[in-house]
Amino acid sequence: MLMNAEVSLSCEGIERFLGEDDSRVHALRGVSLQLERGTVHAVVGPSGCGKSTLLYILGLLDHADSGWVTIENEAVSHLVDDALARKRNELLGFIFQFHFLLEDFTAQENVMIPMRRLAVLSEEQMLERSAHLLDAVGLGSKLKRPSRHLSGGEQQRVAVARALANNPSVILADEPTGNLDSANSRRAFELLQRIVQEERKALLLVTHNPEIAEACDWIHEMQDGRIVESHSRGHRISVRAGA
Amino acid sequence: MTPPLYIALRFLRHRRRSFILSLSGVVFGVAIFICTQAQTQGFAQNFIDSTLGSNGALLLRSRFQSATTGLLVPPKNVRNPNQPRRHSIDGITNASEIMRISRQFADVAACSAVLRGTVSARAGFDNATVDLFGIDAVSHLQTTNLAQQITSGDLDDFRNNPNAVIIGSRLAEAMQVVPGDAVQLLSPGGEYRRFTIAATARSGVGVVDSVRVYCHVRVAQTLLRKPFPASMIVYKLRDPERAPAVARAFEDLFQHDAQSWQDREEANLQLFVTVRVSAAITVSLIILLAGFGIFNVLTMSVLSKIKEIAILRSMGYRARDISAIFLWQGAMIAAAGSVIGCLAGAAFTWGVSKIPIQVRGLLYANHFLVTWDWHHYLWATVLAIVAVFIASYVPARRAAQLAPVATLRGSSA
Ligand SMILES: Nc1ncnc2c1ncn2[C@@H]1O[C@H](COP(=O)(O)OP(=O)(O)OP(=O)(O)O)[C@@H](O)[C@H]1O
Ligand SMILES: [Mg+2]
Repeated sequence: MLMNAEVSLSCEGIERFLGEDDSRVHALRGVSLQLERGTVHAVVGPSGCGKSTLLYILGLLDHADSGWVTIENEAVSHLVDDALARKRNELLGFIFQFHFLLEDFTAQENVMIPMRRLAVLSEEQMLERSAHLLDAVGLGSKLKRPSRHLSGGEQQRVAVARALANNPSVILADEPTGNLDSANSRRAFELLQRIVQEERKALLLVTHNPEIAEACDWIHEMQDGRIVESHSRGHRISVRAGA
Repeated sequence: MTPPLYIALRFLRHRRRSFILSLSGVVFGVAIFICTQAQTQGFAQNFIDSTLGSNGALLLRSRFQSATTGLLVPPKNVRNPNQPRRHSIDGITNASEIMRISRQFADVAACSAVLRGTVSARAGFDNATVDLFGIDAVSHLQTTNLAQQITSGDLDDFRNNPNAVIIGSRLAEAMQVVPGDAVQLLSPGGEYRRFTIAATARSGVGVVDSVRVYCHVRVAQTLLRKPFPASMIVYKLRDPERAPAVARAFEDLFQHDAQSWQDREEANLQLFVTVRVSAAITVSLIILLAGFGIFNVLTMSVLSKIKEIAILRSMGYRARDISAIFLWQGAMIAAAGSVIGCLAGAAFTWGVSKIPIQVRGLLYANHFLVTWDWHHYLWATVLAIVAVFIASYVPARRAAQLAPVATLRGSSA
C-alpha cells in the first residue's frame, strides 16, 4: 500500500478470531480498506458479518490477530495500551448506536470529556469550543441540560459533537442512526457528512439503512468476515475486492 | 484538576447515598479508634502520674555489698538472669553525699531522702499496720506531688509541728480519723507515741493511700531506731522516660540498688498495655468492616459504571486514568472520613470524659479519664487511609482492566 498524504486511515489483511475453543469464530478474514480525507465510507452487510469487529480494530479498541492498521501514515498495531489511548484521544472520534453519553453530565460536559484528557485547552477555551460544537449540531440552547433529559435524536447529536471534540482526522460510527426515526437519521447523517467534507476528515460508518449507504462516497459490502464488494457513488461500478 | 479527579467528583455526587454509607464507616472507625485510645491511655497516664507523684521516677535503695567485700561481684555491672541478684545491705549510709552528687545530673529535677519502716498505728479502737515515711518536708514536697495530694487539713500544720503526721486518705477512712485527731504509733521498742493528724493525702494509687503515713524524719529516726539515716532516696526526673538509663548509671556510680518506675510498676503497666492493645484490635475490626463496606460500594460503583468506563476508554482515557477515578473516590472517602472522624472522635472523647465512674483501687477516679494526644488522631488517619486504599485498590484495578470492546459489543448486539 502506497504512502499517501490523502489517506487518513488504512488497514491491510486484518484477521480476527473471537471466542474460545469450541465457540471460536473467524470474524474477520483478511480485510483491507483505505479512507481518504474528506470521504464518507459505508460498511454494509448482514448481521454477524463482522462490521463492528472491524470498526473496533480500526478504532484501536481491539487488536487484530494479523494484518496491520495505519493512522496518518503511522503503523499503530505494535503500540502499547497507553499509546493507543493517546491515538484514540487525538485522532479518532467514535459514535455508537446507543449514544453512550455520560448520563449525569450535561451536554456540554459530555463534549468536554475528550478535551479534558487531551489537556491542551484551558477551561474557558473548552467551554467555548464545546458550546460552538453543540451549536453546530443545533443544540446551542441545551448546553446545560443533563444528557439523560435529552431526546434520542438530541443525544445522538451530542455524541456527534463529542466525536469532533478534539478535531480528529477519522470518525468511526457504528450504526449511528440505528435507533432514530428516519427524519432524525437523515438529519444526523447529513450533519456528519457536511462536517466531514468541510473539514476534510474521513468517516467510516456501519449502517443498515440503504438510503444512508447510497448517500456515501463508498459502500463496502461485507459477508462472513470479508469485504466482498466495494463501489463508489459516482461510478456505481462494482469493484471486486480480493476475496 | 486532573480529568480522573473531575470525573470521580462527578460520579460521587450522583451516588451520594453509597458515598455517605462508606463515609460513615470510616468516620465511625476513626472516631472509635481515637476515643478508645484516649480512654485507655487516659487511665494509664493517670496511674503513671499518680505513681510518679507519690513514689518518684526512681528509687535508690539498699547498698551493694561489693563495695566492701569486693570479691564476689565483678566490677562491671553484669546482669545474668541465672544468677541470684547481688547481695545488698539495707539502707543508705551517706545519703546527703549521694544526693549532693546526684543533684548535679541534668536528668534529676529533685530528690528526697526517706527513712521508711513498718509500724502499728492505733486510733480509738482501730488498729492498722502502716508504712511510715520519715521525710524532710521541704525536699519531699519538691520531689513528689504531696502538696497537691492533700485532701483535707493543712500542710503548714505538718511543717510547724514535729509531732504531726499526714496519713493516706483510705487509711484515714479505715481508721475513721480526720485532721486534728490523734493517732498513736507503736515503736519497735514497744511504747506508743502520740501524734496529731495534720492532713490527709490522696495520691490516687490505692496501695499507697491505704497504708502510708508521713512523719518528720527526726521523729522516724527515734521511732524506728534504724542503724542508718535513710532507707531510700526518691528522685524526680525531668524526663521520666529516662528513668531506666538513669537507674543504670546510678547503680554503677553509687553502688546502690536503683529501681526505675517502669521496673517498679511493670505488672500494672503491662495490664494497661494489654487493655490498650485489645481495644486497638477491636477498633481495627471496625475499620476492617468499614473497609469491606468501601470495597462493596466501590465494586458496585465500578459495575454500575461499566458503560461509562467503556466510553471513556474509547475517547482515549488510559487504563490508569480509569483506576485513578476509583482511587480518587476512595481517597475522597478516606479524606472526608478522617476529618469528620477526628472531629467526631474528639467529641466522643469529650463526652466520655464526662461519664461518671467510681474507681477506687489501682487508681482513683470519679469519671472516665482521657488523654488528648495528637498521635491518636494521626494514627487513626493513617489507619483509615491504608484501609481505604486497600479496599479501593481491587475495584479500581478491576475497572482499569475492563475491556471496552466487551462492553460495546454487549450493548450494540
Ligand atoms: N466475544 C465473542 N466471542 C465469540 N464470537 C463473537 C464475539 N463477539 C462477536 N462474535 C461473533 O463475531 C461475529 C462478528 O460480530 P460483529 O459484532 O462484528 O457483527 P456485526 O456485523 O457488527 O453484526 P450486527 O450487524 O448485528 O451488529 C459474529 O458472528 C458474532 O457472533
Ligand atoms: Mg455490529
